[in-house]
Amino acid sequence: MKKILLGVVAVVVLLGGYLFTTYNKFVSLEEKIDSQWAQVETQYQRRLDLIPNLVESVKGVMQQEQSVFGALADARTKYAGAKTVDEKAAAATQVESSLGRLLVIVENYPQLRSSENVQTLMVQLEGTENRIGVERGRFNDMVRDLNTSVKRFPGNIIASKFGFSERAYFDAASGAENAPKVTF
Amino acid sequence: MWRKFFVAGVVFVLLAPITVSAYVTPGAPSGYVNDYAAVMSETERGELESQLSEYEKKTGNEIAVAVIKSLDGDTVENFSEKLFAEWGIGKEGKDNGVLFLVALDDHKMRIEVGYGLEPVLTDAESYWIIERVAKPAFQNNEYARGIREVTQEIQKAIDADVGEPPASLQDSTMKVHFDFSPLALVLFVWVISVLARSKSWWAGGIIGGVIGSLIGFISGFVYAGIVAMSVLTVFGLLFDFLVSREYQQSVVLGKRPRWWAGGSGLGRRSSGGGGFGGFGGGRSGGGGASGGW
Repeated sequence: MKKILLGVVAVVVLLGGYLFTTYNKFVSLEEKIDSQWAQVETQYQRRLDLIPNLVESVKGVMQQEQSVFGALADARTKYAGAKTVDEKAAAATQVESSLGRLLVIVENYPQLRSSENVQTLMVQLEGTENRIGVERGRFNDMVRDLNTSVKRFPGNIIASKFGFSERAYFDAASGAENAPKVTF
Repeated sequence: MWRKFFVAGVVFVLLAPITVSAYVTPGAPSGYVNDYAAVMSETERGELESQLSEYEKKTGNEIAVAVIKSLDGDTVENFSEKLFAEWGIGKEGKDNGVLFLVALDDHKMRIEVGYGLEPVLTDAESYWIIERVAKPAFQNNEYARGIREVTQEIQKAIDADVGEPPASLQDSTMKVHFDFSPLALVLFVWVISVLARSKSWWAGGIIGGVIGSLIGFISGFVYAGIVAMSVLTVFGLLFDFLVSREYQQSVVLGKRPRWWAGGSGLGRRSSGGGGFGGFGGGRSGGGGASGGW
């Protein structure tokens, strides 16, 4: 009788310990994902801050291509107004594609390509795209960590009891995952 | 013997993070200058090595050079980021490292800048260093000169505006992520070997109890402490009993004890040659610039 009681106590204690550690693991995984998302947003902001400079220095020369500036301004406004993570991600993708278009057009103007000012801006933009790629990649790695733990047995029982669920990956729009290449 | 290797392999696989990219590590760094493609002479390498080591002593900034044969299909950006993370260039918490990577066969190079140096060594500065210094030298096949001059330009660019990075950046870079698992494993094996060699079977129980109460103390939950203490005491007792018996048996039989019973060499760590003790654990986030020649 005593032995059975001891066994029951041991099992309960083990289960309790497992519950504690698993719960805490979920909490810290979510915390890490949130702070990583903040890193991604920092880089988005950095890109947005660079765009006006680039636009300023190429606008005068690019007379025929005014529509791309409109699209870019639109996308920026949308990003500024975005509240949720999903909205921000969608707006960022839009910024990405209109920026990519602008860069392609700049390529076609030799007098712009040879300007050191424009070149420097392009390098900065390229660098920011790379940073965004890196931080987004890390974000997705962390989301994968969480999603695997949430789905795997027996963590999935604890996850559903305490309301931890899978998080969405950040999918770059097709073709937008590659930073626009700048070649001189 | 083989079983030891097998077990070590399994442990390694379990601890290693899963990577999906094409990046293949060139190995642990042997110093600040790592010339895997043998483009520098021994004296050239030695001179640059001591210069970079001196610069680190003076400023704390770690500038690493890696010359590899090929990227094996990877992009130079991805390779640099992964290598930077693996070597941990720069000091932990300050992230003041720079990596200059040259991929010989691909004719690609990159200056990857740690978080902490991004404000003083900007993408544009890195780009111009590559375009104006590295490119012409590499086109003339003067790799040693190009590499040396690039590291000098990097130092100049950093020294030109040594200021504290903006507060917002410091916040995001001050977060310390340290992976305890290798250390914990070494400690764990060491504790086992001590327990196994001691004839007693109760020391493990005491250690378990102490660790349990520590856990309770740290987490601040009385309940968690009691739970951890009782579980770990029982576990420690059992464990010590098992490993001690295993060790005694292997001593009697004249065999080398199994790795989990104190027969492992994991506790001894070899130090790197030439006074280079590895980089400080800094991080980067894709800052810098790439180029080709």
